[in-house]
Amino acid sequence: MLALFVVMPLIIAAFIALLGNELPEPIKYIALVASLISLALVLVVGFNAASSQSTTWFYLIWYQFQITTSTAPLNMLLLLIVAVMTPLVITYSIGFMRVPSEQSRYYFETCIFAAAMMLFAIAGDFITMLMGWGLLSLASYLLIGFWHGKDGASSAARKAVTVALIGDVLMMIAVVMVWDLYHTFSFAAIISAPAAPAAWLPLLFVLIAAFAKSAQFPFNEWLPDAMEGPTPTSAFLHSSTMVKAGVFVVAVLLPLFAKLHLLNVILFVGIVTTIIGVTNALTETRIKRILAYSTIEDLGLMFIALGLNAVVAAMMLFVVQTFYKSLLFMSAGAIMKANDDEDRIDLVQSGAAGKPLLIATVIGVLSIAGIFPLSGFFGKASVYASAATDMPVYLVLLAVGFASSVYIFRWLLLPLKKPAAQQSRKTANFSFIPMQMLLPIYVLAALVVGASLACLRLPSYLSAYGQAAPLSLIGIAAETIVAVLGIAVAYVYFKRGAKKTFANRLAQELFYNGVFVNAFYASVAGLVVAASSAVDALDYELYRFVKMLAGAVLGFAEMLRHVENGQANSYMLVFLLGILAMVIIFAVVML
Amino acid sequence: MMPIIIWMLSVPLAALALIFLLGHDFSRKIATASTFLGLMLTLFVLVVSIADHGVNVAEAYPYIGSLMISLSFRINAVSLVLLLMSSIVLLAAVIAGNPENERQKLSCALIVLFQIASVGLFTSANLFFFFVFWDVGVIAMFFMINILGSANRKNASMNFLVYEVFASALLLLGILLLYFYTPLHSFDMQYIIANASRIPQPTQELIFLVLFLAFMTNMPLFPMHFWLPDAHTEASTQGSMILSGVLTKFGAFGMLMLFAMLPIASKYAPYAVVLAAVSAFYSVFVLMKQTDIKRIVAYSTVVEMGIIMIGIGSLNSFGTYGAVYAMLAQGLGVSLMFLSVGCLKYTFGERDIKVLRGTVVESEFTTYAFIAAAVANLGLPLTAGFVADILMFMGSVQTFGLYGALPLIAMILLGAYLYFVINKSMLSSREHSAAVNFVGDDQHIGYLILMAALFLFGIMPFIILNLARL
Repeated sequence: MLALFVVMPLIIAAFIALLGNELPEPIKYIALVASLISLALVLVVGFNAASSQSTTWFYLIWYQFQITTSTAPLNMLLLLIVAVMTPLVITYSIGFMRVPSEQSRYYFETCIFAAAMMLFAIAGDFITMLMGWGLLSLASYLLIGFWHGKDGASSAARKAVTVALIGDVLMMIAVVMVWDLYHTFSFAAIISAPAAPAAWLPLLFVLIAAFAKSAQFPFNEWLPDAMEGPTPTSAFLHSSTMVKAGVFVVAVLLPLFAKLHLLNVILFVGIVTTIIGVTNALTETRIKRILAYSTIEDLGLMFIALGLNAVVAAMMLFVVQTFYKSLLFMSAGAIMKANDDEDRIDLVQSGAAGKPLLIATVIGVLSIAGIFPLSGFFGKASVYASAATDMPVYLVLLAVGFASSVYIFRWLLLPLKKPAAQQSRKTANFSFIPMQMLLPIYVLAALVVGASLACLRLPSYLSAYGQAAPLSLIGIAAETIVAVLGIAVAYVYFKRGAKKTFANRLAQELFYNGVFVNAFYASVAGLVVAASSAVDALDYELYRFVKMLAGAVLGFAEMLRHVENGQANSYMLVFLLGILAMVIIFAVVML
Repeated sequence: MMPIIIWMLSVPLAALALIFLLGHDFSRKIATASTFLGLMLTLFVLVVSIADHGVNVAEAYPYIGSLMISLSFRINAVSLVLLLMSSIVLLAAVIAGNPENERQKLSCALIVLFQIASVGLFTSANLFFFFVFWDVGVIAMFFMINILGSANRKNASMNFLVYEVFASALLLLGILLLYFYTPLHSFDMQYIIANASRIPQPTQELIFLVLFLAFMTNMPLFPMHFWLPDAHTEASTQGSMILSGVLTKFGAFGMLMLFAMLPIASKYAPYAVVLAAVSAFYSVFVLMKQTDIKRIVAYSTVVEMGIIMIGIGSLNSFGTYGAVYAMLAQGLGVSLMFLSVGCLKYTFGERDIKVLRGTVVESEFTTYAFIAAAVANLGLPLTAGFVADILMFMGSVQTFGLYGALPLIAMILLGAYLYFVINKSMLSSREHSAAVNFVGDDQHIGYLILMAALFLFGIMPFIILNLARL
């Protein structure tokens, strides 16, 4: 229960932001201070609270609904990541979001987003988890569609929220079904209980929901579109909030998936998604979208590790990915800011003012490529090591490693064009970038380097969840060779902007279109619309039938109406006929 | 203890008389006072009940002794929830529901009349008065559509009346059957519940069928839903809020009573649930073809009522209390939706998604109120809908297994289309409709009341649900 207090500062700040519409200036600093208080609370309260606490939310007849918070190592890891990222993102936002009228809404939504993820991070039972899960969907929807005047933001937000809604509802179905089997919501109790064989179905729903949240195949396409949101939101969403939720919930429940033989599903989807992410990233032409596909690939790698039952390896990548991905998003935002907010691959990255930014960016790029001793190396190495006994998977991982170092250097090298090479294009203005945007980038660059040390400590911190596969020298060598090879290929192919895309048209078409995932969405939507048209036509016919019945009643009444026409002679006639009939009947009966 | 239910009934009665006496200038103030007092009295009952750890209010006065008809009332946990919901909705409707300021006297009088009906129906412990208050509600609603509605109101109101009178007639038939087949010939619910098992089986089946038809017409469930879209589209904003928020709950409340009363009902519950699921899916598909936002919201009521029926039909405490809580959540949510749609229509003169664009630019609060209501109805955590969904589906999965959870798929379709509507007409401002009017503070207060209630009951469900604790 104590752990719930870590979200309080952010919630209070959110409401101050909402009400402080007239005062755009103080709002951002209030949000920043609140996020710092949250961080302090995480460090003080989070690490000192008992590992699992629950309090009764309400009673129903005899059943207690509880709010359980957990500060087990896994939860604390995510909580700490979110708590560290929130002030960085808010600082960056102070520099990035300059329009006064947007401040109130932006900081409200961002604070709610962060608070929802913190709530999710400390959840120790399904109910609390589901709360964070659902609030994340709403907050991300509002943030992705934040610039609703912009072309595409609205449809991107709708795509994101529709996928998230599928995830939310499936998670709700899973939660009630799990409750029906175990009669408890608590993660700890469910994991330690003997596995109910029927639990495979709700757990499959949990998996699908997690895939929807974490942009895994076939739900991967909302994530690149979500780039329409403000860049700080992208940095937040891709590193620590939202997409990490799916990975995290699978990691927490992994013993259950292992018991019920669902690991292969995770592994398979992870591999498919990784390949999709990499191939898309190789062919994409906008810098933020390349990073988005890169996130899909990273998440796929985490799922591969989880599919191999290697929680520690997955969490290593989970931690380091946060820092390098948010670093790259933030520098992408800064580079774009210097280039009039354009999002193309051939932006300009030059000039003395851009040098420190460039160094920080290169650190992030090298980390993604997996170069020793940056933290990305350790994250990837541990995932590779966990696959060492599974040769096909290992080969896929090596190929992916090669491709990811190609695409990330393509990402880096294309903007590095010298001004001379790009006739008559105006140069970028790097002195324009405010300090509030650069500071978090430098901090993150330091964290990318520093996280290497954390990676050495992480296996012992997470020892309760299993052992990390030891790194072998051959594995490290293979990883490094592949990465360096990728860098070399990228350099030869793309140096100084010689080419922007690959030569092969077919590959370009196929990969660029996301392996037709979007076409698949369109066909599903078409199916629903067709069903809806059919039912609507049926509804119309039914209503016509009902009206026809009413018409029949009216027709009968119309017929009967003539009986009482008010004419005495016809009444007389009927009267006489009646008497006649009576006499006849009487006579027949008597005789 | 003082006769609180009599107070609850006499406040609107006095208000009604005052509206007719004092006339146009004071009518809105009187109606606001009446609904506000109604809410306060309900809250008083709630507070007393929390202090007593249980709801226990019963009042009885002799009326027609020879026919065993007494003026008897009781409040239990279920009726307290519905009383709370209806008094909040009515208060919001009086304060905010009429931005045009048209025919204040009549609309206020009808709302106050409806207040009598809803208080009476939810507290009635006697089937005779249950029927009387039911019809009072239907009549009040009929005039809200027939006189206060929009262009096609005559047709829609007659449609409404035909269906509702059909339901009333069946209700009366069912009540009379119950009266004649119970050993002591009584209208008293308590007595009927205790003795219903002594009614012969075939008669029980007949009574169940008759009453089920009556209640499902009011709820409504497919295929008795045809009155609802037209009635909602044509009714005034206040009318729609009350119709969808409170009147449809009459039927659902009756369903709860029916399933608690007749032992035979449990045999037919699975069929009722199948019908409800069909109703939910059917109406969500019809909903997806609509372009008038008010019609969309109207069909969403049919979807939600179908899901509520699933909760009722699962026949366990989770499903039942979940359904009651869903009635609370849906009543508040849908009336907020109708209120904001009414204000959009007032602001832009339009509510067709093919024409309406970027409402967020000119009326931000209204747009966000609609979004809040939509996500609350979809079961956003921290709103009452979340608690309701969890409880209902825990109940239905307990009874029906996986199949009990599948109707949630209808929620995906409903949500997908609602988000489509929101993004097409509200949250995309590349182009935007021009406002012709602006809503005032009253409307904002109305949004705030309903939103606050949605979040209050979502964050603190214990204030209500702990009352049913054993």
